Amino acid sequence: MKLFYSAFLACILVTGYSQTRISGKITDERGVAVPLANIVLVDTYDGTTSDTEGNFEFTTTETGTKILLVKFIGYKDFQREVVLEGKPVNIAVPLEEMINELEAVMITAGAFAASDESRRTVFKALDIATTAGATADIAGALNTLPGTQKVGESGRLFVRGGDSNEAKTFIDGMIVLDAYSPSAPNTPSRGRFLPFMFKGTSFSTGGYSAEYGQALSSALVLDSKDQSEMTRTDIGILSVGGDVAHTQAWSGGSIIGKIQYTNIRPYFGLINQEVDWEKAPVSLEGSSAFRQQIGKDGMLKVYGNFNHTNYSLYQHSIDDYNSKFLYELTNNYRYLNGFYKQSLNDKWMVRGGVSYTYQQNDAFADHDNIVETEKGIHAKTVFEGSLSDKVELKTGVEVLQRSYDQEYIISDGDDYARSFDETIAGGFAEADLYTSNKFVTRAGARLEYNDLMNQFSVDPRISLAYKTGTYSQVSFAYGKFRQTAKNELVRINPTLDPEKAEHFILNYQRIENNRTFRVETYYKKYSDLVKYENGNAAAVNNAGSGYAKGIELFWRDNRSLRNTDYWISYSFLDTKRNYLNYPYRSTPTFASKHNFSVVYKYFVQSIKSQLGFTYSYTSGRPYNNPNADKFNGGKTPAYSDLSFNWSYLPKPYLIVYLSCTNLLGRDNIFGYEYSTQQNAEGIYNGRPIRQAAPRFLFVGIFITLSKDKSVNQLPSL
Amino acid sequence: MKTLNIIPFLIAVVIVSVSNLVFANDSKYMEAMQKNIHSVYTAQSIADLQTAVNTFERIGAAEKTKWEPFYYASFGYIMMSTKEKEAAKKDAYLDLATTSLNKAKEILPNDSEIIAMEGFINMIRVSVDPASRGPQYAALTMQTLNKAIAIDGNNPRALALLAQMQLGIAQFSGLSTAEACATTDRSLEKFATFKSDNPLAPQWGQQMAEGMKSKCQK
Repeated sequence: MKLFYSAFLACILVTGYSQTRISGKITDERGVAVPLANIVLVDTYDGTTSDTEGNFEFTTTETGTKILLVKFIGYKDFQREVVLEGKPVNIAVPLEEMINELEAVMITAGAFAASDESRRTVFKALDIATTAGATADIAGALNTLPGTQKVGESGRLFVRGGDSNEAKTFIDGMIVLDAYSPSAPNTPSRGRFLPFMFKGTSFSTGGYSAEYGQALSSALVLDSKDQSEMTRTDIGILSVGGDVAHTQAWSGGSIIGKIQYTNIRPYFGLINQEVDWEKAPVSLEGSSAFRQQIGKDGMLKVYGNFNHTNYSLYQHSIDDYNSKFLYELTNNYRYLNGFYKQSLNDKWMVRGGVSYTYQQNDAFADHDNIVETEKGIHAKTVFEGSLSDKVELKTGVEVLQRSYDQEYIISDGDDYARSFDETIAGGFAEADLYTSNKFVTRAGARLEYNDLMNQFSVDPRISLAYKTGTYSQVSFAYGKFRQTAKNELVRINPTLDPEKAEHFILNYQRIENNRTFRVETYYKKYSDLVKYENGNAAAVNNAGSGYAKGIELFWRDNRSLRNTDYWISYSFLDTKRNYLNYPYRSTPTFASKHNFSVVYKYFVQSIKSQLGFTYSYTSGRPYNNPNADKFNGGKTPAYSDLSFNWSYLPKPYLIVYLSCTNLLGRDNIFGYEYSTQQNAEGIYNGRPIRQAAPRFLFVGIFITLSKDKSVNQLPSL
Repeated sequence: MKTLNIIPFLIAVVIVSVSNLVFANDSKYMEAMQKNIHSVYTAQSIADLQTAVNTFERIGAAEKTKWEPFYYASFGYIMMSTKEKEAAKKDAYLDLATTSLNKAKEILPNDSEIIAMEGFINMIRVSVDPASRGPQYAALTMQTLNKAIAIDGNNPRALALLAQMQLGIAQFSGLSTAEACATTDRSLEKFATFKSDNPLAPQWGQQMAEGMKSKCQK
């Protein structure tokens, strides 16, 4: 009986507790061991974790056919059926790399991305807001990056030998027709959009996506923020006016309303200005942003703003200072942008929008009245998604329709008007093909039909990027770009061809733990630039051409020095063009050979302050002296500026902000302007174009009222 | 007769096996979880944490209806994030923590412990890049933690995390730490009286609160 018992028990043990040993080795595509992977016998607790050599081993009492699953971050899941019958099972597990945002190579040629969400960007939204000398102006901050040429009297973006109108701004993919507020002649203008509105900024100095058209040199792509999380009221008391904003947040949505009044008159009363103001600029601006989540994966955004600006000044004759006339400008601006995005499934999403811009400049020069009106509608729909884990596709269609009208009401002569309407229908497709996490090819093309000259066009764009190490990569970009000529040229000859540019860009970038190094070189070829026929501004054609080439360096480090962040940019530019009234190829007056800047930010805990300094240097720019033989043969002295800002946070809901440009009070000369007529000695009289004042001093107090007292306006500064 | 003795024996075997099927599953779950919770609390290295997280993920995937494995996997990933030096990887671990926590949330919505953990993730997000994330994520952290406290005012972990965040903000802006210290005291009181019917209920956080207490007493 004892024997029977034992046999019976043994039987139970063998059938009930039969064990299978499963072992194996996990490697990646190159045969390198993958440690810490999770080995799972599906639907059981059994499994283990691979060791440092990628080996694993475990035993299971399960029987029959089961699935063995191996998973690890950055790799695709591996599955294999295993038969468990007591015999040891040995499996070699080859894991296949997954293309993922964190590891994959990125196309960086020409692109500077600033985002709070994406992790490997060079810039953050806050960086733009806290750059000294920029006074929270997006263009001002971007002017400290390589690829830009500082043009102090304009304040706009000039990229790689391109004119400022070659750089276009897009908000949520929709074009903005005039992104800058009006300013008096030879005084810098500011962007109409404040950095705090955006969660991401992508500044491209060339070779950008086929999604963006009508920009020859640069695309500044701004992504507006999603809904606010918190109800709050923000009040700003500024040395040049004031603003108040209120945010109402609810679950899944929010609305923000802001009104700002700027009056620079009291300030100009205190600080002597080079400009002879009759009425210094006063502006009233209002903006509102509505955000609503729709369903689980939809988001609706509506943004609108209006601006009314007025000023008047006396322009003095170059030949005789006492001879002057009054120039008065009233600018009205409205911008409305509606944007919708929706995930269709976990692979595809659709986004679309409509933007409307209206702008009118009503100017009185002496006794003549010039009214310039531009209206534009831009509508666009884009589908984005992945065809497989290695192929991403973006495709869309858009229509841009604008009308331009200029009326001259002349006190002494016949009135006249010039206008044109333009409709551009466009479509684009672009695919990112990943060979591995190390290599990506982006190929795309943009198709446009323009009704002004009744012309179809196709512009190819291609970029490649290869990861040379864990932190470094090289990329290359090529593209063809076109843009309708400036309004003041098209109104003369509406059948002008668009101006064209071709970009070739080579980039190396290394980002390692808060240190970034970039070097980029490029060649840009211009064709079909608008030219005056035989120097006659009333007859224009597309006979112009030009080039720009250069090399740029960027270094950023916010690790080495405690509480300190700094970046250094250098750009070398060689550019010449033959356009407009140029008799032959020469360097345009806005182009400077060397641009250098250092931005330094330091947080001082003991005084609860962030201090910032920005130093910029721009080598001399050409100017045309009609008394000299050579066209654009003159050269201004070099420009330099040291700016300072100070943000003081005495309480979490209160910020005191102070900034000053040109601390050293350098008398920068931007160029020279000359009389159109020779004087009695046969010489054209000239005078320098100077800064309106050596320094600009700004003080602001920002208060945030909310239920949660820890919130302040720091991100909005 | 002796052969008949086998019958009760067989019956016993059957009963034991059947009952094993019924509640042994649960005791197997309890046992595996308790052992592994101990591992995740005591793990020092990223490798040890990953091993514990892997086990939680296996249990969670097999069980399907239990929130605890995903909750602790999330906790493990947060700990891994705090031990990692590189910012991008810290974020990657926090993403995994969020994914796991979302699975727990689907099984058990509106749970104070799970929402407190969400606040914990947001708080670590701030620490990855305080200057640029502070304003947004600090507010979000406060909001999430207050939500956890609103659901269960006795949750000592939610209070301890809130105290930590208040302390961080007070220190950053050089303000009085009185509010943070009061929250710390409330948290410690709740730790002293914390009771749960669930043997797998979270236990962590008391040391953190005690650490803050000693800072408050200085």
